[in-house]
Amino acid sequence: MTFEPIWNSLIAWYLFLAGLGAGAYITSSFLAWRHPDATSMRKIGHLIAPIAVAIGLVLLMFDAEAGLHNPLRFFYLLMNPGSVMMWGVVFLGLFMVVSIVTVILDFMKKKVPNWLAIVGVVLGACVGAYTGALLGVAQTFPLWNNALLPVLFLVSAISSGAASVLFVSIFAHADEFNRVGVLKKFHFCLPIIELALVASLCFITAQTNPAGAASVASMISGDWAVAFWLGLVFVGLVLPTILEIRLLFFSSKEFEESRPAHYISAFSDLGVMVGGFLLRLIVVMAAVPLTVVVPLA
Amino acid sequence: MMTRYGMLIDTTKCIGCYACRTACQRQNGQDPAVDYIRYEEREVGTLPNVACETVPLQCMHCEDAPCVKVCPTGASSIDENGVVTVDENKCIGCKYCMAACPYQVRVHNAVTGAVEKCKFCHHWVYEHPETPSNTCVTACVTGCRIFGDLDDPECELSRAIVEKNAQPIMGDLTKAKIFYVR
Repeated sequence: MTFEPIWNSLIAWYLFLAGLGAGAYITSSFLAWRHPDATSMRKIGHLIAPIAVAIGLVLLMFDAEAGLHNPLRFFYLLMNPGSVMMWGVVFLGLFMVVSIVTVILDFMKKKVPNWLAIVGVVLGACVGAYTGALLGVAQTFPLWNNALLPVLFLVSAISSGAASVLFVSIFAHADEFNRVGVLKKFHFCLPIIELALVASLCFITAQTNPAGAASVASMISGDWAVAFWLGLVFVGLVLPTILEIRLLFFSSKEFEESRPAHYISAFSDLGVMVGGFLLRLIVVMAAVPLTVVVPLA
Repeated sequence: MMTRYGMLIDTTKCIGCYACRTACQRQNGQDPAVDYIRYEEREVGTLPNVACETVPLQCMHCEDAPCVKVCPTGASSIDENGVVTVDENKCIGCKYCMAACPYQVRVHNAVTGAVEKCKFCHHWVYEHPETPSNTCVTACVTGCRIFGDLDDPECELSRAIVEKNAQPIMGDLTKAKIFYVR
């Protein structure tokens, strides 16, 4: 028997965009503290955050059809404090408020107070980890039901968010892009950590039970093998790592600040974002549940 | 008076005719693609002594229900008689309960967008407390199914559970209230 996934790519887009928005805000706050001169880049990140999360939330509403037909029902979303999804709604709601206030402050050319940036970073981290915990509590799916997933999604969220800020900056403010070396080095580390987490997830899940083994098989050698190896592992994780190593450690300063180098960076950032989306898509779609009598594949 | 409704399904008597599902679909006015009862079937034994085991699965009305735990709107809840219900006017169709259910017995209604599942025929049961039964129970041609009050040690259900040593299909996982003989 084959298993029909409960959620589809809409949910994968939502998980990706919510993570990317949260990551963009965290990146902007990092810029404010470490590279205070990069004001335009900071504003780019502040702007990406609410837009990405808002698009994700709209997609979520389209997936929740009964709510889409009766929008007032969305107010019930705060009814069950025992539900991880309720906490997600709280985190996402508060994050939207903080990130929109931040954008308004930017537009009014006022300084974003430190406490607000800290609150935004904490809420962003909650949003990033929540997208993993949402799936993590479904105990029937071994690919989701583990403590690694929230960490993996959080790392991927920060990575995608930083990539989105760097990507836009290359085309909008290349001068500032050249001066944010520390951010680039942090950003470079994230896909490497992610690679270790993805490998761990596969190794451990494959050993749990038949459903876990079937999920991992679907990822690495089944329906999702091409998306996994070519999309996520190569384009999303390995290629950005190789390109960034080349640019950060084996390039002259002149080349690093040249336009061709910028395009290589842009390509690498695009790869990170593609990988971020594919990670969600594959994890959502390839998961197989434990069954009572007959194992599924 | 509070009751704790439950069911026994004797799979050793089940012939896999799907009459329970058909009756349930008619009772609930569903089209053939939607069902509250699903089946897992396999061959058991070694040649030449083999048989086909059919295990009908539907909402287990768990006391420790994962669907109720994850439902963000409170649409899924447990009523005073232990029946797990979905309030169709509260469900937003997020499908989180479908992901959380260890038995995969919740279905998404493509028309309303809401999630549905076996109701233990509670509307009928509450109107006929003296002779509580379910459509699937009355439809079963071989008498696999018994419905009753788990808190009444003298009822047919409770006696059959003890006599046949019936167990929830996944043990203590969710304190399920459907007991199986396999």
